[in-house]
Amino acid sequence: MADSKDHVTNGVPTGQEAWAQLQLSLDQYRRMGNQYRLRTLKRASGFLAPYMILWLAFLAIPVGWAIFLSFNDDGVLAPRYWVGFENWARTFDDTELTQVVFNTSIFVVLAITIVFGLAIFLASLINNHRRGENFFKVTLYFPLLAPPILGAMIWHFMLHFDFGIVNLIKVGIFGGEGVNFLGKNPRAMGSIIAVEIWRGLGFWVLFYLAGLQSVPGELLEAAKLDGARSFRRFLRISVPVLRPLFLFALVIAIIMNFQLFDSVKILTDGGPRMGTATIVWFIYRRMFAFQDTGLAFAASVGLLIGTMLLTLAVFWLLRQRSKGET
Amino acid sequence: MDTSKPGSNHETGHVFYGRGRSRYLFGNRIRAFFAYLVLLFFVVFAVGPVLYLISPALRDSISLFDYPPKLIPDDPTLDNFRFLFDSTRYLSWALNTIIFAAGTTIISLFTNVLAGYAFARLQFPGRNILFFLVLSTLMVPVAAVLAPTYLLVREIGELPIIGRPFFGLDTYLGLILPCTVSPLGVFMMRQFISTLPVGLYEAARIDGASEWRILFKIVLPLIKPALVVLGIFVFMITWANFLWPLVAASGDDYRVLTVGIASLKGQFVTHWGVLAAASLMTLIPVTIVFLFFQKWFVQASMAGALKQ
Repeated sequence: MADSKDHVTNGVPTGQEAWAQLQLSLDQYRRMGNQYRLRTLKRASGFLAPYMILWLAFLAIPVGWAIFLSFNDDGVLAPRYWVGFENWARTFDDTELTQVVFNTSIFVVLAITIVFGLAIFLASLINNHRRGENFFKVTLYFPLLAPPILGAMIWHFMLHFDFGIVNLIKVGIFGGEGVNFLGKNPRAMGSIIAVEIWRGLGFWVLFYLAGLQSVPGELLEAAKLDGARSFRRFLRISVPVLRPLFLFALVIAIIMNFQLFDSVKILTDGGPRMGTATIVWFIYRRMFAFQDTGLAFAASVGLLIGTMLLTLAVFWLLRQRSKGET
Repeated sequence: MDTSKPGSNHETGHVFYGRGRSRYLFGNRIRAFFAYLVLLFFVVFAVGPVLYLISPALRDSISLFDYPPKLIPDDPTLDNFRFLFDSTRYLSWALNTIIFAAGTTIISLFTNVLAGYAFARLQFPGRNILFFLVLSTLMVPVAAVLAPTYLLVREIGELPIIGRPFFGLDTYLGLILPCTVSPLGVFMMRQFISTLPVGLYEAARIDGASEWRILFKIVLPLIKPALVVLGIFVFMITWANFLWPLVAASGDDYRVLTVGIASLKGQFVTHWGVLAAASLMTLIPVTIVFLFFQKWFVQASMAGALKQ
């Protein structure tokens, strides 16, 4: 066996010396690390660039620009000029703005209550009576194929004073005059709610049906054997299982419904007397017709903030849900 | 209740005989009858309004106002459809809609898959912060950024080289590109790609495949179903879009179906028959596609809500 001295004399480094040569100094190490990070960044940027450029241009910058413009007046047709907090100070005085926020809130509460109530009811009916499940799924989903604006058109025909089928039926059965659905205040809002229910119902039925079908069958079996009637089973087993799903759906639905615009534009264009004007209708009208843009930007930033808070609520709910599962 | 008699115990749900059994089954049947009655009512509620369109579409607009009103036209006519093709630019709207929706879908899928892959599988500094930033814009309402986006597209359109005729108001790209930025697709793709087994990538990487090769040869074939779902979702959202095309492409040459049909509903005079014909014409092709691919449609709309 040769000792270490022989190695040195032969010009071959010992194990220790080789290790020392392989090690980097702190400086070298840092430089190599930076090079590595730069290389990964370069490689990733090829994948990220197409999306991130578009995102920056058409989402991030517009968001920042909207916030900036809320401190300015004009800016769409005429050049903008700085007014500081004036727009924000005016938001609570403007009767139109308070009116549209009120209208939209009423719409959101009523539409979601009715559509969720009906959807859960219909979903449990389909769930309990399995024959024809697919037929009901397909037909109830069907209205979702129509863009919101076409849905509004279709309902314009249904509710028309002269030839709307709703009035034909009403006059046919009860006689008397037809009902002017879109020209009177509470009815006009009711008609808009009807349109949105028509479009949304199928989606939420499918949503809750999927939820109900995920309720563990053996739990329901066990409760049945213990003598629980069907309503009690629904209340004590299905409802708790569906609760997180329900909260999640609620937040999503609130976010969606606060953006009501298309059917209002088509059916009533905000009328009668601003009775069906919504926040988005207000923003659109102020920006592209009235040209009092400052307030419109303040309103859009308000909408943005409200939506962001609700989105945070969604993420929080999802975290709670995944915590509950583990 | 006397449980020693067979068939007398309703509570346990056991099979029972005699009068109790027939009463039980009768009750069940009545319940099923009413359940189906309610369901059928809502089926009529869902499909009826679209079927009702057939009646005004086949009559001339004046006879609609006849008194007493009629549901079935006396002399059905196709004049409304003829008017739609001869006197309005319906076909050009339809073509624009297809270009708009297909373009948005293709560009979205392309950018979303690439970004989703980067966020799911590549290591690079600032990844989590960037992803958080993108995700925080998930729910930005279209209306809130409507005017800034409009201004931006207008201004870019005035620039030399990249502006008109390539980009700006009343151009296809000006219409399409702002609709391709929703982070939902990136999020969906990232979630989906990160569920694929890591071993696949590592094997490919050890074999010396580049990231691009891995993406196109290994990842893409595996995420095909997710791509279809995302594609249908984006297409359906886009062609239904009304607010953005209304402000960005109001010119005659770039008008899409939603804006075009809305323009048929005139300020003072509305040709109701033509309007009905246009609505019907628009819904028929979508319905046919839907009937062939129902499962995908349902999955796509669920993905929009559930996968967030």
